[in-house]
Amino acid sequence: MVLPARRQNRKESRPAMSEIEKTIPIEVLRYRPEQDTEPVLQTFQVPFTDDMSVLQGLQYIKDYLDGSLSFRWSCRMAICGSCGMMVNGIPSLSCKTFLSDYYPAGLRIEALAHFPIERDLVIVMDDFIEKLESIKPYIIPKTPRALSEGEYLQTPAERDVYEQFSSCINCMLCYAACPQYGLNSKFVGPGIMALLHRYNMDSRDGGAEQRMELVHSEDGVFNCTAVGYCSEVCPKHVDPGNAVNINKTESAKDYFLRFVMPKGSNSGAAK
Amino acid sequence: MKPRAIGKRRPYVRPMAGWWRKNPYFVEYMIHEGSAFFVAAYALVLLVGLLRLSQGEAAWNGWLFALHSPLSIAGHLLLLAAMLYHAWTWFNIMPITLPPIFVAGKRLSASAITAGGVAATVLASVILLLVVWRLTS
Amino acid sequence: MEVFEADIAVVGAGGAGLRAAIAAAETDPALKIALISKVYPMRSHTVAAEGGSAGVVQAHDSLDHHFNDTVGGGDWLCEQDVVEYFVAQCTEEMVQLEHWGCPWSRKPDGHINVRAFGGMKIERTWFAADKTGFHMLHTLFQTSIKYPSIQRFDEFFCVDLVVEDGRVQGVVVIETATGQFTLIKAKSVIIATGGAGRVFRENTNGGIVTGDGMAMAYRHGVPLRDMEFVQYHPTCMPGTGLLFTEACRGEGGLLLNKDGYRYLQDYGLGPAEDKPRNKAMELGPRDRLSQAFWYEQQKGRTIEGPHGSVVHLDLRHLGEAYLRERLPQIYELAEEFLGVDPAKTPIPVRPAVHYTMGGILVDGNCAAPLAGLYAAGECSSVGIHGANRLGSNSLAELCVFGKVAGIEAAKYAKSVAPGNTASLLKQAADAQKQAEQLVIRSDGTERIATLRKEMAQTMEDGCGIYRLGDSMQATCNKIDELKQRFKNVNVEDKSSVWNTDWLLAIELGYQLDVAQAMAYSAINRKESRGAHQRLDGFEARDDINFLKHSQAHYAGDGMPRIDYGEVKITKSQPGTRAYGAAGEKAEQERKQASHV
Repeated sequence: MVLPARRQNRKESRPAMSEIEKTIPIEVLRYRPEQDTEPVLQTFQVPFTDDMSVLQGLQYIKDYLDGSLSFRWSCRMAICGSCGMMVNGIPSLSCKTFLSDYYPAGLRIEALAHFPIERDLVIVMDDFIEKLESIKPYIIPKTPRALSEGEYLQTPAERDVYEQFSSCINCMLCYAACPQYGLNSKFVGPGIMALLHRYNMDSRDGGAEQRMELVHSEDGVFNCTAVGYCSEVCPKHVDPGNAVNINKTESAKDYFLRFVMPKGSNSGAAK
Repeated sequence: MKPRAIGKRRPYVRPMAGWWRKNPYFVEYMIHEGSAFFVAAYALVLLVGLLRLSQGEAAWNGWLFALHSPLSIAGHLLLLAAMLYHAWTWFNIMPITLPPIFVAGKRLSASAITAGGVAATVLASVILLLVVWRLTS
Repeated sequence: MEVFEADIAVVGAGGAGLRAAIAAAETDPALKIALISKVYPMRSHTVAAEGGSAGVVQAHDSLDHHFNDTVGGGDWLCEQDVVEYFVAQCTEEMVQLEHWGCPWSRKPDGHINVRAFGGMKIERTWFAADKTGFHMLHTLFQTSIKYPSIQRFDEFFCVDLVVEDGRVQGVVVIETATGQFTLIKAKSVIIATGGAGRVFRENTNGGIVTGDGMAMAYRHGVPLRDMEFVQYHPTCMPGTGLLFTEACRGEGGLLLNKDGYRYLQDYGLGPAEDKPRNKAMELGPRDRLSQAFWYEQQKGRTIEGPHGSVVHLDLRHLGEAYLRERLPQIYELAEEFLGVDPAKTPIPVRPAVHYTMGGILVDGNCAAPLAGLYAAGECSSVGIHGANRLGSNSLAELCVFGKVAGIEAAKYAKSVAPGNTASLLKQAADAQKQAEQLVIRSDGTERIATLRKEMAQTMEDGCGIYRLGDSMQATCNKIDELKQRFKNVNVEDKSSVWNTDWLLAIELGYQLDVAQAMAYSAINRKESRGAHQRLDGFEARDDINFLKHSQAHYAGDGMPRIDYGEVKITKSQPGTRAYGAAGEKAEQERKQASHV
């Protein structure tokens, strides 16, 4: 019986650690609430190959150097949004940031900025979730339709208007990039505004008026000072800063139309 | 979502002090925002001119004379540089602030919007210079 | 211990869990639903599904076609009555998602668009570019926020079911943030925890895909059905196993060996034609394509790369603009992870483990043999995939059967009285003690990562694309050994807050049980069918002895007991499973035979 070649040829599996020659220093901001009063940096020497991501570096640490290091991850392909962290001070998805780009100087990894640190690289994200829940992130039908009537018609052009904003993976890099959120966490922030805008712009949706309340509010879009870094770090080209700033215009329009067309108009001014 | 229990948690909130020095992008943002001061400063210079004009010919000429001093010229060069920087960074951020613009069915790219803004500025400046040149020559 | 009183507990908040929770909430808004997930719902692995979801829409298509593709694709190991129900419900579920806001890709007239997929006779795969699972998951998650009766337990890790008086009455969970335990009392429990692909070395799955729900049900005596059938997806990234969707081929991508030759024509999938033809060549089913790769490798016609042999997925002829529109994520994956521009260079690919066809035994109502227990999605074996799943049937499955599970669990919850909290708490305390023992003990010597790697390697060695009796036996022995060594596992981290070392150890325990069920189910199936292919004298399908579902029963420390269940056949008698020109010929013959 011939054994499959791949079993005879072990070279193809990840090289054994002895075969890896290069190592890179990874500095990790540790915070273990049961033993640390404040976060401390810890450096690990990690063997690596050129195609290894920062996430794989962290996995190596957890598997072989220190099992107590905690971080979130899952899909490894930049779609689940779990593994956002600061890499050399820049909000990044660790699964699509590569160690070789930091060789030989090494890199420093910290929990996402502007969020409380729960432990090590894990942040408390309750605030983001509560905001998401507050914006009615679902279709409020403009014209209710029975399933038997089939799908709503929506042209590719109508879809394009909101599709970009629906691509948000909730990784929160944009929040770590937003100093206004860091200074005032009540600000609704870029990612959630992108999702709010996504529904407002959907041709099937008629709920914009309800959502605009939040846009106008004290915690709404006017906290934004157009730093623009949110859109810069977005790994999915969502351009959340655009959603925020378009809604400044929308909000201003609503405000003035309130005087021109009080009550009963369809401008979103009625309350 | 079920609210979290406290247990042994002790979430650590990092201080924001000095936040803008931590990232080159924020440093640039602060310089950009700071350059707005120069825009305001030049507006002030012009307002003073207007005030002097209202106070009669002597006052106006005195103001004009003061503008010719080396200190004033150096100041104006500084103002010009700051305003050019402000304009450039302002146009760079402009694509983020505008709703999508479609030309012939295709969405205008960010760089095209920035380039458009710069071109409009150059055009307006040239027209203004021409008008002033015509009026004064 | 904290106690939460729910009517229904849903474990897992991916596509199936969310769909089930919504269905239950719509069935009766007065029912209190606990939706438990070890990650925030939008992190669930449904997010990584790319290509699309099946639902008949075209005039020249029919439910019969979808039925025949599915049953034939599954090598006749499908529950045909369940498949019939499934294909009839798919389209309505896709429309439902559309009404909830899913950004399906459209035709110029505004109707949804469909694309071709492997093993499907007519184009019927609904898609949202190449991020279909992502959009479905976020649509379902965001829609679920509308229902106040759904109480989410985000980042709560489930350690056990609580069974009393012969029915399941709740679950025990750990809050990851605190390490504290909660008993969630429930009159019915839906398991929707996804697959177990991480028990293999090279796989497309996220780190969370560890078979938790399968193992929990299994440990309570519920059989795991058809576990030997593990799908290798033919086009994955070497090394990491990340997925390049079948939609690459649905859109016209080609598979080439080192000579630039479309090798699939040598494996009964031809003829090779310029235009893609459904159910032929690159649009053949996944098991056949992965098997063809294996043979090419044997013949030395693959390309050697740093992470093993590869073939080329060639998309160049589709052009950058089209690729950016239809396959934007694939484009970026190739660019960012491999440094390859797919419009200019073919993408190196190789097969990797993708999907577990088998799972928790349930009937067409998603009910497991344990009263009050339901399961839906990849963790379940409702019977539609048989020995090989067709691409785009799994996203449809989690909608169709997520809904069924939600409705049925709601019905059951209303028919029974709440259990006795005191006795349930006693069981929960036992579960807590057992879980905490992993952390409390300080004499463990086995490293979690070492056990996990050895498990993943032996599963690949013994239960890969082609299987041999000897190597499967070696895998069975190895898993038995690892289960023993696991008793001596060392959890380094002794803390309470976000102790992932601890949770990884519990997951490893789940994985070992699931892996054992797979390996023993595999070695006992002495035939070749679908994704289970043997080379040791059992190369042919054996309908006389093995047109049966395997059922693995948990036996604690011992090896699982394997027995067999009947396959429900209604209108499609097992026939020759063929694709390409041979498939068309076989279909003609079947038609003629049925006319006689």
